Amino acid sequence: MNGKKCIAMLLAGGQGSRLGVLTSKIAKPAVPYGGKYRIIDFPLSNCVNSGIDTVGILTQYKPLELNDYIGSGKPWDLDRTNGGVHILPPYQTQEGGNWYKGTANAIYQNMEFIERYDPEHVLILSGDHIYKMDYSKMLKQHIESAAACTIAVLEVTPEEASRFGIMNTDQNDTIYEFEEKPKHPKSNLASMGIYIFSWQKLKKYLTEDEADSNSSNDFGKDVIPAMLNAGELMKVYRFADYWKDVGTVDSLWEANLDLLNPKINLNLSDSDWRIYSRTTGMPPQYICDTAEVENSLVTDGCDVNGKLDYSILFENVTVEHGASVEYSLVMPGAVIKKGASVKYAIIAENVVVEENAEIGADPAVVGPEGWGITVIGDRLTIGRGAKIGPSRMITEDVGEGETR
Amino acid sequence: MRASAVAGLILANMNDSLLSRLTATRSMAAVPYGARYRLIDFPLSNLANAGVSTIGIVTKENYRSLMDHIGSGVSWDLDRKNGGIYLLPPYVTSDVKRYTGTVDALHGALDYLERCKADHIVLCHGDTVANIDIAAMVDAHLATGAEVTVAYHHGVPPFENHDTVLPRFAQDGRIVGLTANPTGREETDFCIGIMVMARSLLMQIVRDAFAEGQNNFTVDVLAHKTESLKIYGYEHIGFVAVMDGTNAYYKASMDLLDPHVRRQLFNKRRPIFTKTRDDMPTRYGTKSSVKNCLIADGCVINGTVKNSIVFRGVTVEKDAVVENCILMQETMIGRGATLQYVISDKNAVIGEGMSLSGTPDKRFFVEKNQTL
Repeated sequence: MNGKKCIAMLLAGGQGSRLGVLTSKIAKPAVPYGGKYRIIDFPLSNCVNSGIDTVGILTQYKPLELNDYIGSGKPWDLDRTNGGVHILPPYQTQEGGNWYKGTANAIYQNMEFIERYDPEHVLILSGDHIYKMDYSKMLKQHIESAAACTIAVLEVTPEEASRFGIMNTDQNDTIYEFEEKPKHPKSNLASMGIYIFSWQKLKKYLTEDEADSNSSNDFGKDVIPAMLNAGELMKVYRFADYWKDVGTVDSLWEANLDLLNPKINLNLSDSDWRIYSRTTGMPPQYICDTAEVENSLVTDGCDVNGKLDYSILFENVTVEHGASVEYSLVMPGAVIKKGASVKYAIIAENVVVEENAEIGADPAVVGPEGWGITVIGDRLTIGRGAKIGPSRMITEDVGEGETR
Repeated sequence: MRASAVAGLILANMNDSLLSRLTATRSMAAVPYGARYRLIDFPLSNLANAGVSTIGIVTKENYRSLMDHIGSGVSWDLDRKNGGIYLLPPYVTSDVKRYTGTVDALHGALDYLERCKADHIVLCHGDTVANIDIAAMVDAHLATGAEVTVAYHHGVPPFENHDTVLPRFAQDGRIVGLTANPTGREETDFCIGIMVMARSLLMQIVRDAFAEGQNNFTVDVLAHKTESLKIYGYEHIGFVAVMDGTNAYYKASMDLLDPHVRRQLFNKRRPIFTKTRDDMPTRYGTKSSVKNCLIADGCVINGTVKNSIVFRGVTVEKDAVVENCILMQETMIGRGATLQYVISDKNAVIGEGMSLSGTPDKRFFVEKNQTL
């Protein structure tokens, strides 16, 4: 096989436990986003748009839905003869098999896959972020600087800095120190979890890391510091556009509602940088004459008869007469029945909210104390007239008239 | 049924002249319909949903937009190694004129029919919208032992085109008469241009009819064979629209605002597929007001839209008012413009404050790429 300049390895095995019931049955990268996407559409579309045609997707936790979604890679134009998309779960060998112990170990276990393409560089991505990024620019800088590793960074405020891995650099953007979630950050350059390694270097350090029984086999904790200690040239690549981690219920909700904010620079209708997704052949959306729709995103298969404000309806959602959905996400296939009200909530796939049920609350009404986004887990039924308060995470059916 | 036992054949340039403005730059089968589809999506999806994976599409002229729409056939899962979609434009030789009738069109498809090896052919007209269970129709064809099975529907027949025939049945269900060119506007049974027959029989009939200089396959040929051939009907219950004229096109479009019609045309068992564009969902702005509309993805709506069909990528600016309109792909409606009974073709631009109005019977038409 011809040597590839750069292939991508996408770490999609994480559970995303902070998303609670939203990832009880699916891996985080498969979580729906923005009406018709899933989180993984962003790194995959970025790869294709950046000219990277070979992507290994490392799966581990609840891979079924993700495997199904990726399929042959056709929606992203990644069904290729030479390259394309490959799902890489942990596997057994004659010596036995192991789950992926950490992010670095996941790549280590797939070195054979990478070798098949004989790449010069390897791009490491995760399936946790919403952003549009041209990896080819980062690769260009990586090649020109002759760095062993280039890490994409975003400038964050000092308050935010203590939640991220922080890169301390000299005036040439060369990294001299990496600090994971520092209490007193020395810099404001946060790692975006996007790395480009020269493959020969990465191979060496992954092999050494694997041999070290004290290592947790993690890129941020082990491999990057080891490379710094060995004096490898490591550079930051500065990124200044929209980027959001969607690892928590609040950030997932916010990142979705960002799409409704004209001041936020996340344009998904840019024909030069399409975000691709798998679609299912639903008819167009129908907005009934009793509907009131403002400040919202609605997609194919939806049937809107009630009121929508600051909300996102995913494929195939029905909002019946007299129902209202405000500041909420309603994921594919959910039904909001007559007179029900949904506020500041995430309704997962195929939920049925029965008539006159009330979900979530407006922070302006209940006050900030104890307020939060309410989440209803997939395929649940919320009984007629049931009341679900703010900040609840519902994991089982709620009966008629019950209060949670 | 073996996957290769049945092949499809779609006539793409059916009655183009009846929708002359919409077919100025495209074939009938490529006419946009229903906010995100083109007419050919219906026969293609019907065939694909029945497991038919070899489909010929007979075209005559203006087939570039059709080719662009169909591509490799991937949207219908018809990009196959074995079979797939065959676009059949006319052979251009000095002594062959482009065909004028469906007999000529079918004669031009003989090579395809020769090669496709299927036992049976399902023939579909590209000007007819329906979601029909072709698999059940083929089963019925085999069960009755018919030589030809024609799909029919009970309703008001189209009367502008020259292809519609009305079946008359004997007690055992065999069709004993096919009457051409209905003039009445009462409800009756009429054939909807979908038929099944053995490949060898179709080829024989087409060769004979072409030699005799016949023009129309249903009216001039099939209608005269009710004695010599065992022709049976297969009733399709559900929405049917035949695009014979702009009034019919407008009515068939507005019919989609009726939930019963949508349920008949769109169901999860037999989805209608179309070329995907990867648009983002449609965005509704502050103070947008939308009532009784069918809207595709990729639109930005900041104005008022009522009783309308809105295709992909349409923009309606603030204070614009759109009523009873069909806005095709990428139409731009400027701030404060008002539109009543307008059909805008692709990429039309209606400037700020413009006021356009047609009537329920005669819509104002804005041509493709036209800026007003």
